[in-house]
Amino acid sequence: MITPGHAQGRRRRPVFLALVISLLVVGTAIGPTAAQQPRYGGTLNFIVSAEPPSFDAHRETTFAVLHPIRPHYNLLVKFDTQNYPKVVPDLAESWTASSDGLTYTFKIRRGVRFHDGSILTSRDVKASFDRIIFPKGDVVSVRQAMYDVVDKIEAPNPNTVVFTLKWPSPSFIPILASPFNWIYKADLLDKDPHWYERNVMGTGPFKFGEYVRGSAWTGVRNETYFVRGRPYLDGYRALFIGRAAAQVAAVRSGQALVEFRGFSPSQRDEITQGLGAKVTVQESGWLCNNLVVFNTQKRPFDDARFRRALTLAIDRWGGSRALSQIAFVGPVGGIMRPGSAFAPPETELVKLAGYGRDINAARAEAKKLLAEVGVPDGFEFTLKNRNVQMPYEYVGVFLVDQWRQIGLNVRHVVQETGPYLADLRAGNYEASVDFSCDFMDEPDVQLAKFISNDRSPANYGNYVDRTLDRLYNEESRTRDPGKRLQLVRQFEKRLLDEKIYQIYVLWWQRIIPHWTSLKGYKMTSNHYVDPDLEVLWISD
Amino acid sequence: MIPTLLAVAVLVFVLVRVIPGDVVELRLVSGGTFVTKQVVEAERARLGLDKSLWRQFGDWMTGIARFDLGTSMWTGAPITHEIGIRLQLSLQLALMATLIAVAVAIPLGTIAAVRRGTWADAVVQVISVSGLAVPSFWLGILFILFLLSYFHWLPPLTFTPLWQNPRANLLQLIWPALAVGYRYSAVTTRMTRSSLLEVLREDYVRTAWSKGLAGWRVVRHHALRNALLPVVAVIGLEFAFLIGGLVVTEQVFNLNGIGKLFVDAISHRDYTLIQGLMLLVSFAYIVMNLGIDLMHAWLDPRIAYQ
Repeated sequence: MITPGHAQGRRRRPVFLALVISLLVVGTAIGPTAAQQPRYGGTLNFIVSAEPPSFDAHRETTFAVLHPIRPHYNLLVKFDTQNYPKVVPDLAESWTASSDGLTYTFKIRRGVRFHDGSILTSRDVKASFDRIIFPKGDVVSVRQAMYDVVDKIEAPNPNTVVFTLKWPSPSFIPILASPFNWIYKADLLDKDPHWYERNVMGTGPFKFGEYVRGSAWTGVRNETYFVRGRPYLDGYRALFIGRAAAQVAAVRSGQALVEFRGFSPSQRDEITQGLGAKVTVQESGWLCNNLVVFNTQKRPFDDARFRRALTLAIDRWGGSRALSQIAFVGPVGGIMRPGSAFAPPETELVKLAGYGRDINAARAEAKKLLAEVGVPDGFEFTLKNRNVQMPYEYVGVFLVDQWRQIGLNVRHVVQETGPYLADLRAGNYEASVDFSCDFMDEPDVQLAKFISNDRSPANYGNYVDRTLDRLYNEESRTRDPGKRLQLVRQFEKRLLDEKIYQIYVLWWQRIIPHWTSLKGYKMTSNHYVDPDLEVLWISD
Repeated sequence: MIPTLLAVAVLVFVLVRVIPGDVVELRLVSGGTFVTKQVVEAERARLGLDKSLWRQFGDWMTGIARFDLGTSMWTGAPITHEIGIRLQLSLQLALMATLIAVAVAIPLGTIAAVRRGTWADAVVQVISVSGLAVPSFWLGILFILFLLSYFHWLPPLTFTPLWQNPRANLLQLIWPALAVGYRYSAVTTRMTRSSLLEVLREDYVRTAWSKGLAGWRVVRHHALRNALLPVVAVIGLEFAFLIGGLVVTEQVFNLNGIGKLFVDAISHRDYTLIQGLMLLVSFAYIVMNLGIDLMHAWLDPRIAYQ
């Protein structure tokens, strides 16, 4: 949803309102990415709310490395931010898959140059993916497990790269388009596999300018970029501003045109009230969510009936209406992001435990289940949470209230991220707010968290369920989309309705208010894939 | 100095390791990615966290003996570099706040003492008590809101060194310096007033009055110099505090200073950086104490150090 911001308060005038409404109509109809002639020049100042720990995306997990540094690099294939989730060639010119789905052959663009002037070849692509998928020595690749399917990578000639898979995988191309899969220069990796942790050398639309730690990261236009006429900007400046209030002030003052992760509803309102029609707001479902993980080794959480009672007690539809006013949460959904290809329609969703529209009936059933399990009225347990106010703490407080309504007394323990993670991984909790954030809507990625904990390091529920594992394996190796959908539904039913090892609370809602003068930006469902600075421009 | 720093080193080394969580988990796992235990253990080994505590402490001490504080576990950059780029801003801010505080506090404290019980004293009391009551970060927020609401302007968000662009530098730092300097001046004003009041009751001051010396001359040459001894101590300790203690104010103004670095280091469990920072702050306090002692000797000739 794209709407220009609106002025509020004492400055409201009929003429102004008419102007805003006409802008709203025009803006919604054509959006900010309408076919205007892009203007060259200018420096885009934007906010990044955290700093990159290192400059090497192969070893990092945070968006803080993507937003400031990704513009220096290209990928083999990438998500088209204007048509997400379509995957398009980047350094690859094209690709073909064998009929058995086991071999993918990529033709590499000719004449692409690194910022030092050297020519990119298939050797660089192979070296980069070898580092991600088959890291050697003390090189850390946090996404290694994601590419289990890859058997080998070959570069038979300077313009061809061949990936051989162990089994046909429908998600291979989208997973390859991960925004973290930057293509590095093979010669530099050969000399020092850690070189990219502290240095930058890519083929991207912007060359490295300057990095003042704790302050800003700058990039300057790559005049020899292989896409003719791109980028439009002369450069960019990523300002590191951690505090939300300071971020809002920076946007309001015009020192930054945008922050690409997302603001809360109140921050959005503060910005639109201050800037009026100078600001445009884009909103979308976010590929992030908060869930609750139960420690299935502790009583009474080891009883599926108790866990079912807990999910039945949550009024997700009511919570969505209320919480979306104050926090960036809202959409009600199961294991796939609401609105995405594999998400169930609402008619299916409401059949899952805790998703029905009749909350009174659900809570009555929950109380019966508690009585069956022998859990007394006023039973106490602890819900652990991370000390991130937006939206974790809002979600935590909401849950405490919901469970109180079936007679449970929940202590909400908010911890700093370090102890929170340590407790989660050590199983030192009864119930805990957890989260997941991904770069694409893909069952292989979203479901992996919930398979048995001896297979998934991100599953903190301390359970082993070979049925879930089987469904996951079948789903990830099935090329027929219809059959995949069925398997995903079965997985979802077992996880959220039958066993209820973990439950979803609410999905997040991404809100990006930005200066209207920033053009070409079309938000996607996540803050990893966008922004693509190559296509952005400033109108004045 | 060395025994004090050594004691601080031992204490900090132990304390940071008592806090649950470690840098590897925070860095690799907090993003929610599926990182295997093997990867986590390999990274721990790379950072030396798999070694015994004795060995880790020994390695750190050996480095310090060579003036090498090591590298940040979070960023991999040398600790001296991490601190160096922030120290410039923190030192300048501390210096500016001190200048503002001294420029305000000494005259106000003197007026309040000399005009004790008058309306002038009451005004100074109101100003100084308000300064003590208002946290500097809150005043900073008010500055920002005021500038944003009435001038649609905000101080620059990135630091420019004074010698590169004095205007941009001062436009950024004057606001936090005023916010911090006001609180700082309140403490110093009250100390100046009470110290001067004590000195003004001394026999030698009464003698000076009775000899018919001019009022300002008695205050300036006979009373104020002696009254400044405790004031100098307060100024010195406040200055040392400002180098690493402006945690919230730096966040409010998005200043890339030592206080913000402290918070980041602790939240990242960056042991080596926390240790380096604590040594820096301890060193600053020790140097300031030495400076205060030397100032005392200069102000009061009766004090002699051997």
